[in-house]
Amino acid sequence: MGPHHPSMHGVLRLVVVPQGENVIDCKPILGYLHRGMEKIAENRTIVQYLPYVTRWDYLATMFTEAVTVNAPEKLANIQIPERASYIRIIMLELSRVASHLLWLGPFLADIGAQTPFFYIFREREMIYDLFEAATGMRMMHNYFRIGGVAADLPYGWVDKCLDFCQYCLPKIYEYERLITRNPIFLKRVKGVGFISRQEAINWGLSGPCLRASGVQWDLRKIDHYECYDKIDWQIKWQTEGDSLARYLVRIDEMKESINIIQQALKLLPGGPYENLEGRRIAQEKGRMNWNSFNYQFVGKKSSPTIKLPRQEHYVRVEAPKGELGVFLIGDDSVFPWRFKIRPPGFANLQILPQLLKGMKLADIMTILGSIDIIMGEVDR
Amino acid sequence: MTYNRLESFSIVLLVPKWIHRVQSKKQESTFYVTPDHPYEILLFFRCHINTRFDVSIDICGVNCPSQEQRLRVLYQLPTTQYNSCIRIKIGVNEITIVSSVISISPSAGRWEREVWDTSGVHFSNYLGLCRILTDYGFEGHPLRKDFPLSGYVEVRYNDLEKCVVYELIEMAQEFCYFDLASPWQA
Repeated sequence: MGPHHPSMHGVLRLVVVPQGENVIDCKPILGYLHRGMEKIAENRTIVQYLPYVTRWDYLATMFTEAVTVNAPEKLANIQIPERASYIRIIMLELSRVASHLLWLGPFLADIGAQTPFFYIFREREMIYDLFEAATGMRMMHNYFRIGGVAADLPYGWVDKCLDFCQYCLPKIYEYERLITRNPIFLKRVKGVGFISRQEAINWGLSGPCLRASGVQWDLRKIDHYECYDKIDWQIKWQTEGDSLARYLVRIDEMKESINIIQQALKLLPGGPYENLEGRRIAQEKGRMNWNSFNYQFVGKKSSPTIKLPRQEHYVRVEAPKGELGVFLIGDDSVFPWRFKIRPPGFANLQILPQLLKGMKLADIMTILGSIDIIMGEVDR
Repeated sequence: MTYNRLESFSIVLLVPKWIHRVQSKKQESTFYVTPDHPYEILLFFRCHINTRFDVSIDICGVNCPSQEQRLRVLYQLPTTQYNSCIRIKIGVNEITIVSSVISISPSAGRWEREVWDTSGVHFSNYLGLCRILTDYGFEGHPLRKDFPLSGYVEVRYNDLEKCVVYELIEMAQEFCYFDLASPWQA
């Protein structure tokens, strides 16, 4: 099954050995979208590199930016203001809803249902409009910065976002009513691609694939990052471990994300949206007096070339596909020494050959769709 | 946080032969291990009751040409039971062969192939260790520091021969290196 697919999986080549209608073996061949992101990262400062990172996972773009910006923040110990943290949470959860919506469409299109593919773009266009108002770009926003976000939310954005949440939640229930108890859908998806709990842990799965197999592992609760602890929300999980369970986990996560957005919008505090001191303190050693010559530059937005200290750190984020991680080794210069991207799709795709043994040819697309892979991040 | 520190030092007492040194920073411990025994030490870390590091989340290859052990392989292991994360580092050079850990955690398969592809560290006991991210028939290991950012070969479609041809790279514009010194930096 060649690199080009009619659905939005990306360029993945599957060499399948069938026998009649059954699949004996399958070998995925990657690398068609390899762009050398890690090598480029070694030659760019973090701010120069930010436009590249949205191209890893181009459907959930805020997560890639969040992890790229969290890495130097942890290395250089830069705190972010609370307003920035809440804005980040809102953007991340909107991105999660957008990503799950665009998973739902092609998944059902592969199974045979064409209409949800058009319906999901309705909500996704609204999310695009919200992003465009706040960041200036519909998809490849260059929004997160080290120390906060690039610009504050425009006037009226909060009300628009609340309106969107009120509109979107009944629509998700509508998808559920249309799809979840549909007998054709259940016949295609129930019991297909079963992953047991221990297998899921062994193969290093993460995200909805892991939570559908009975492991309550959500990095937002475990790592306590950003301000997720101040918001009241639950981890959504299932125990069956088949494709239906993964579908249910993602639908529930969408509802929970809307819940988080509504709470975060109500809790949004005032204050600065970016830690400008972070740039200055990282460059300048020691405190400066109020009457020294350089103090005039404190309020001024200095150029964000932050020197990364000679340390290494692994930061991770709960992306909609799984655990997106960045391992950053700094070298006391503006360029990182090694920027390793740990994409969730790369690890989640490993289990595909094992899941396909003994399945029918038609189940390939169901299982591939339910694992939710984006080749942009798998290949980098 | 305190649990992490105590556990890391007691582990060193259990297996002193294999661990060079331990570094513990910001709630993350790094163990420097001799290059002959990654398999044993990962098996130990997986099975021991205090340190159930059962997932191999990431394997990363780092190239440091200025040091004697020019390549390093880093294993990132979290634990699902105790909510902590350790890192195991092995220093090798280009011709050392490291034993593969794929039989302990099958998720390591793709990561080891990627380390072989990008940095050139060869893993033994691994059937099917081949290139994963780069092109068919690619030569060289891209993430080494001596491999240039633009590569050596470029690919284009040749209309006369009606196929894709590989040619040596031709740069129409010289490499842009941004001079980042700015008068506004104090």
